[in-house]
Amino acid sequence: MEKKLILTSETSEIAKLAVFIEDLSEELNLPKDLMFNINLALEEAVSNVILYAYPDKIEKEILLTARLKDNMLWFELKDYGQEFDPTQAQIADITLPAEEREIGGLGIFLMRQLMDTVEYSRTDGANILIMTKHMN
Amino acid sequence: MEARILEQDNEKIVVIEGRVDTITAMELENVASTLWTQSGITLVFDCEKLEYLSSSGLRVILTAHKQVSANGGKFIVRNLTREVRAVIDLTGFSRILSIE
Repeated sequence: MEKKLILTSETSEIAKLAVFIEDLSEELNLPKDLMFNINLALEEAVSNVILYAYPDKIEKEILLTARLKDNMLWFELKDYGQEFDPTQAQIADITLPAEEREIGGLGIFLMRQLMDTVEYSRTDGANILIMTKHMN
Repeated sequence: MEARILEQDNEKIVVIEGRVDTITAMELENVASTLWTQSGITLVFDCEKLEYLSSSGLRVILTAHKQVSANGGKFIVRNLTREVRAVIDLTGFSRILSIE
């Protein structure tokens, strides 16, 4: 199984991502909580690309490929924006009391928690983020 | 996403329906921020029909908690679905928030 989605660098495109994940989940008969978690991790990843790889740039392409192989879901997110490695971004400290909790850093925290692996590479002028998740 | 305000038993309740994501979190903030500036109120987010919550939505919840507390009020998150509750737990928000 392979499915592809092309988004542009605008936050309104997140709606298309949700539909894509819904279709994928239906096709693969994924449980609701897995669908929810995949949507969440990918939304955070796409939001990062829009904010940091394509700051103030619209209509730039973000390519998402989803594959299923040996009971493992594999997602690749690719863009040709500024170099941005989300795996190096500061992660929210979730143990702090409310007054000290920062507003940022939750997105990358969620991506790491919800997926089994999150790997970044910069290849031929592209940011490539690969995330995997076992289906069991 | 739809967010409407109800007043009941001295509580200001924001009833949230649908998806709170990168796009719609701002709408929720716009609705809730009209309330969290008031002093000494009990602000409730009723999440029974909240289907999805991303980190943008978590930020609005954290802001609501901070603002209401700073103004001497109480902030409550109510009726979470299993999936949304899991995100709240995962991010450590359940230790910070009053959840009913």
